[in-house]
Amino acid sequence: MMKLSRRAAIGLGLGAAFAFSTVGAYAADPIKIGFPANVTGVQASLDGPMLNGAKLAVAEINAAGGVLGSPLELVTYDSKSDATVISTVASQLIDSDKVVGIIGFADSDSVLSIGPQVDKAKIPFITPGATSPKLPSQLGDQVFLAAFGDNVQAAVGAEFALNKLGAKTGYLLTDIGSEYTTLLSDYFVSAYEHGGGKLLGKDTYKIGDKNFTAQIAKIKALPEQPAFIYASSNAEEIGLILKQLRQAGINLPVVGGDGYDTPLLLEVGGAAANDAYFTTHAFMGEGASPAVQAFSDAYKKATGNAPENSFAALGYDAVKLMADAIKRAGAPEPAKIRDAIAATSGLPGVTGTITYRPGVAVPDKSVSVIGVKDGKLMLASEAAPAFVPEP
Amino acid sequence: MSQLEYIIQQIINAVSLGSLYALVAVGLSIVFGVLKLTNFAHGDVMMVGAFTTVLLIGIGMPFAPAMLCGILASAVAGFLIERIAYRPIRNAPDVTRLLTSLAVTYILENLGILLFTSSPRNFPLPDILNTSWQLSGGAITFTNINVLTVALTFVSLIGLGWFITRTTIGLGMRAAAEDMQAAQLVGLNVNKVIIIAFIVASAYAGLAGVLWAAQAGVVQPQMGFTPLLKAFVAAIIGGFGSISGALLGGYMLGALEIFIVAFMPDVVVPYRDAIVFALLIAFLLFRPGGLMQPNREIKL
Repeated sequence: MMKLSRRAAIGLGLGAAFAFSTVGAYAADPIKIGFPANVTGVQASLDGPMLNGAKLAVAEINAAGGVLGSPLELVTYDSKSDATVISTVASQLIDSDKVVGIIGFADSDSVLSIGPQVDKAKIPFITPGATSPKLPSQLGDQVFLAAFGDNVQAAVGAEFALNKLGAKTGYLLTDIGSEYTTLLSDYFVSAYEHGGGKLLGKDTYKIGDKNFTAQIAKIKALPEQPAFIYASSNAEEIGLILKQLRQAGINLPVVGGDGYDTPLLLEVGGAAANDAYFTTHAFMGEGASPAVQAFSDAYKKATGNAPENSFAALGYDAVKLMADAIKRAGAPEPAKIRDAIAATSGLPGVTGTITYRPGVAVPDKSVSVIGVKDGKLMLASEAAPAFVPEP
Repeated sequence: MSQLEYIIQQIINAVSLGSLYALVAVGLSIVFGVLKLTNFAHGDVMMVGAFTTVLLIGIGMPFAPAMLCGILASAVAGFLIERIAYRPIRNAPDVTRLLTSLAVTYILENLGILLFTSSPRNFPLPDILNTSWQLSGGAITFTNINVLTVALTFVSLIGLGWFITRTTIGLGMRAAAEDMQAAQLVGLNVNKVIIIAFIVASAYAGLAGVLWAAQAGVVQPQMGFTPLLKAFVAAIIGGFGSISGALLGGYMLGALEIFIVAFMPDVVVPYRDAIVFALLIAFLLFRPGGLMQPNREIKL
């Protein structure tokens, strides 16, 4: 008979209780899903909420019995908004942690950094927030988008300007420091000109810039003032651009993409953010849809605050998409999961329904247009575009 | 808007941006001049000043005293960095000192991330400083924070000029910059001179940090990197280690960045940073001492 000291007995008892409480009723090993997240660095205001949303989805799935009888485990590392770190983290997830699928990133540049590795290892990859519709063709058939493509949101932005703002002339300001903003601008130009709009000029700046006064003076010096400005910007610059525009006396509406969708827009922009509009994945504010409302409440319960932006919901939806695919695959094997993701049809989510047309890894989803009025966000329109530029 | 108004507006923009660059570059140059040390931590000392100011405004302190406390906090940080990190390795090889300053950078930055997280937070600038002046029927505009930046740059530089030409300790700093050993031989208290130089340079960093963050609208632990990079370029163009060179370099860099966007054809504008760094390489190749040529060879 084995003799146990009192201390060892207590230790064992506690250990058993702890083990029981975490694994619960599961007999099987957890299914590991990788989730690299830029929780520090320039992408932090997007990836942080996204990770919280993903954790919430995993908790809900595990509480409801897991997938295929196993709990899901989210393996996450900080990739620091840095291409080199992303690559290291990817190796860690694929080679050491042996994840069966990876979910990650809110921006196309980070996805471009991880793409070659997931393609080589044949690990299915879903990006909750990156929106370049070119990613699947650039990176191979392991890569799926959970969000709409930039061609779709740029077209909605252009049609919103033309039809709702009545802006037949525009001016384009592009951040040339990221793939996301340059592509978004290209799609915007083709959609806006297709719809009969006329661009009076274009200008550029680079991510990280703090001073836009030279560009703004150029707008003021135009022989004819545009009816609106399309600013293809990332999260950290747009508040400042709006502020400097208003300070220079330019009070035109400013339209842009989902890069605006962080608390920084209102915090930094302040009163200058009025009359700014952006296309994004879901409206999370007052008067949101029941699905969003339910998600908001759950998120608030889990994190203590309301969802910062729609990327929280995208992280949540992407995990649900992966879990649904694993269930339909019947086994936690990467190749089967990939095929199951590709066959996803009519999966409801907080940010809309996900269906992949055969051979297309970008879902068709509707786009919300959010505007700033009196320092508050409001839903300005919700639409699918009439014309979509080719990816 | 007439052509003349456009040009005046862009000159105002250039002076405003150049003042910020000059402030950072001057601080960097003071340390380099005296210690021949490339102080990578300068940007993080800026961050210390900016964060202190934001936190104090957050608890209800008005902008001006909060800014003074920010400058003070930077000066204290500079003092501590010199005593703890740089003094023990003062006579070590250049590589050691360079790596130490990089280490200080990482420590401060990560300390900031631990304390405040890395997400940017708003800089609550009082409305009065955000108010803009509209001249010539609104064709020419600038804000009070622009005016304040330029004014403080001038006032602080006049003060610095007086300090290094009229006070014993300031003269000592210049003597040490000229030749540390000779200064020591004629009885200069090197420790005192160096610590004062660090405190002055760090106070400059604090001032520059507050103004930089006020114009950027946000503070975050990694905010020091971009200004540091700009200040390097400015200091090298002007002449590393020379205060007047740093000043000149700062304004030249500001003007260059604004004028490329303002007056170059659209196809050239995206190459703004490439042009600036090409110029930097040209200076390093053909005129390594910069415009002022304080020492003909520079060591990084």
